[in-house]
Amino acid sequence: MSEITLTINGKQVKGNQGDTVLAVCEANGIKLPTLCHYKGLTDVGACRLCLVEIEKERKPVPACLYPARDGIVVVTSNEKLERYRRLVLELLFTERNHLCAYCVASGDCELQSLAYTYQMDSTRYQYSWPNLVVDSSHPYVVFDHNRCILCGRCIRTCDEITGAHALDFGKRGWKTTVSADINQPLGESSCISCGGCFQACPTGAIFSKGSAYKGRPDECAVVESSCAICGIGCEVKGLVKDNRLVRIDSPDLSSDRGLLCDMGRFEPLFKPAERVTSPMKRNAKGQLASCSYEEAFEAIAKKLGSLDNIAAIASGKASNEALNAFADLNKALGTKLVDTLDGDDFRTITQGIAKFDNKAGLAMEAGLEDILSADAILIIGAHPVKTHPVIGSYVMRAASKNKAQLIVLDPLRNPFTFRASVWLRPSEGKEDLAIKALGNAILDHGKVSGDKTKFSAEFKEVEARKAAKTLGMDVNDIYKAAEVLAESNNSVIIYGRGILQFKDSSMVATILNLAGLISKKPKVISLKRNGNSRGAWELGISNSKGSVVTELSKGKIKGLYLLLADDLAESRALSDSMKGIGFAVVQASYLSPITDKADVVLPSLLWTESKGSYTTLDGISKSTAPMVKGPADIKSDADTIKGIAKHLKK
Amino acid sequence: MAKVKVATVWLEACSGCHMSFLDIDEFIIDVAKLVEFHRSPITDIKTFTPVDVGIVEGSVGNEEEKEIIEELRHNCKILMAWGDCACFGGVCAMRSSLNKDDVLRCAYIETASTYKGKIPQSPGVPALLDKVYPANQIVKVDCYIPGCPPEPEAIKYGLTELLAGRIPVLPSNIMRFD
Repeated sequence: MSEITLTINGKQVKGNQGDTVLAVCEANGIKLPTLCHYKGLTDVGACRLCLVEIEKERKPVPACLYPARDGIVVVTSNEKLERYRRLVLELLFTERNHLCAYCVASGDCELQSLAYTYQMDSTRYQYSWPNLVVDSSHPYVVFDHNRCILCGRCIRTCDEITGAHALDFGKRGWKTTVSADINQPLGESSCISCGGCFQACPTGAIFSKGSAYKGRPDECAVVESSCAICGIGCEVKGLVKDNRLVRIDSPDLSSDRGLLCDMGRFEPLFKPAERVTSPMKRNAKGQLASCSYEEAFEAIAKKLGSLDNIAAIASGKASNEALNAFADLNKALGTKLVDTLDGDDFRTITQGIAKFDNKAGLAMEAGLEDILSADAILIIGAHPVKTHPVIGSYVMRAASKNKAQLIVLDPLRNPFTFRASVWLRPSEGKEDLAIKALGNAILDHGKVSGDKTKFSAEFKEVEARKAAKTLGMDVNDIYKAAEVLAESNNSVIIYGRGILQFKDSSMVATILNLAGLISKKPKVISLKRNGNSRGAWELGISNSKGSVVTELSKGKIKGLYLLLADDLAESRALSDSMKGIGFAVVQASYLSPITDKADVVLPSLLWTESKGSYTTLDGISKSTAPMVKGPADIKSDADTIKGIAKHLKK
Repeated sequence: MAKVKVATVWLEACSGCHMSFLDIDEFIIDVAKLVEFHRSPITDIKTFTPVDVGIVEGSVGNEEEKEIIEELRHNCKILMAWGDCACFGGVCAMRSSLNKDDVLRCAYIETASTYKGKIPQSPGVPALLDKVYPANQIVKVDCYIPGCPPEPEAIKYGLTELLAGRIPVLPSNIMRFD
């Protein structure tokens, strides 16, 4: 990049070839008013506030689109430009409803703050008073089109950052509005609820139901943390007022892991169930009643310490610190049966990797950023938009921005199937054969950049044509997909629930073989279920032999320690299999059918309330910081577990 | 020096701007020394006499309000608008995006607490205008102190400037729309 010198407001400043005038101004601390410009998005020049005068240009030009060139002379502010800017503001204010007194964004609105800057104490134009829709169909955000200035930041965020492209401009000219899909209510559209539009909106047009009127950003404390929900570990910025989460934002939407999803951005603003607010144990009547930590520890140590056949299960949502304490406690108790709730996934994946080749298989585990740089992405039995939405966004972004080819192999429809170059749709349970048929077709294609001698054995056993008939699939689709994958230079394979549900490690091995066949540097991402699944696996909590959850229902286990943390998703099945257990301890954030079955219940803090470290599904260590205080006097998970251990020794 | 004659009117608004004026603390004593109030909700004088400064709180939403602001403009040399309603339309202008007849029907007939309601027809009740207007869309306004209500500090600024013989333009740091 070559350096250029230009004159702005009479001063010589430096910039780079390819910069816009606005970028040079920003780099040199020269302030220009903007509304439609947003970091990380393509500029469109919609708002006309950054108009500047450039020598030899016939009329003012938008700085956000004008390429900076060597030697140009720019004026960013003079009487005429300032007059134009105020005029633009007045037009914006009169176009729709921009009366601040009853707007949720008042005090946090870029339009309002520009009006203050330009001392816009009145407007000279007639109001047009359109009566537009207030779309509250979405569970988390409301879209009030009356407050919209059509800057298009939401649309560009949805397209360029989220990759969903659920929003766009609808209608024409005077009647233009932001439209979800083809004028659907937002809640019924293809929106994936990432909330990027809400964060990017400069006015009160898009606001969050969980944040509205809870407090203005300038009244809030800001806590930087990272999300511990799904194992991606997105950076988050919590805005807190009076120990209440007002909103969760991304610190920088445009950064690589800057995008958030509904689980991290919106769900923590709501309370999904009643909390466990203190330790509880069964009283004389057999009812759960509050007690002190000491009493609870005493009861647990006495019972679990005396029982022989006990089991301990942890959720992959617990932090590494809690899991370490959990492991120590189990050592002290002599617990033989230790597992995680997602132990089945662990066994399927690790045994699959072992069947394939342990060292090479582990080396294939890819980082999430690899998705963004891929030219072909094969998604097998996974619905990341639902389970790991940010990964879903990465895939959609890779497809739309970088023109990566998507191949979906899934019996079920998901948001990728219509975006895919090929959707291979085997009947349910036949995914295995379909993967092999794909491998066979790749061998047929001939141009294989991976190791043909090493990885092809499994794929020679099937014949794509025959398999297609059995699967009820079009063989041309299989060959088309094979061509895309064989000719890609940088492919990524993502698999998830749709494969792991079969608990069949050989399917994982087949996927790894396929990856090895396609590429010299194979990249595979397995979608692990919880925020700290990988951490739990690495700490050896998951049982390598077999499921402990299934052992529970066999009736041999007399005592159970269940570290549930803020895992609410766990099934009714688990509470059913707890029936025969003599003594059960449940450590959980929320009351649930599982806590109902427990003999002692210990409270647990949420990830938004505690400090902890987590390992992302691609192996990066992230930590959370407490954004709010949990219910009074609740100990951290690790301290609670250590408390029990201490009582054992007495 | 003769006192500056001031008239204030309270149109379609909540009186919050006048409250904010009464909230300017001891400055109100200085104002009282320099200013003589004519027609105003504060003096309860109902008839217009020629004044130096007219002050309008509120937007213009019916025939009576339109008449009052026109008469005020006719009787004053400088007209100052107080508050979001007079400057922009404010909360009252919520109805502007709706049809006037729908608004009346909703308010007088359809509300849950209304029994056998009817829309007032008496000539004594001023008719609604089709929309709610900020003051400057009916008459010429010379200066504006927006805010809902304006901060006492902003009102004080406006009066101080006027008393010093200048037309006030509210600086950014004390301008508020809420």
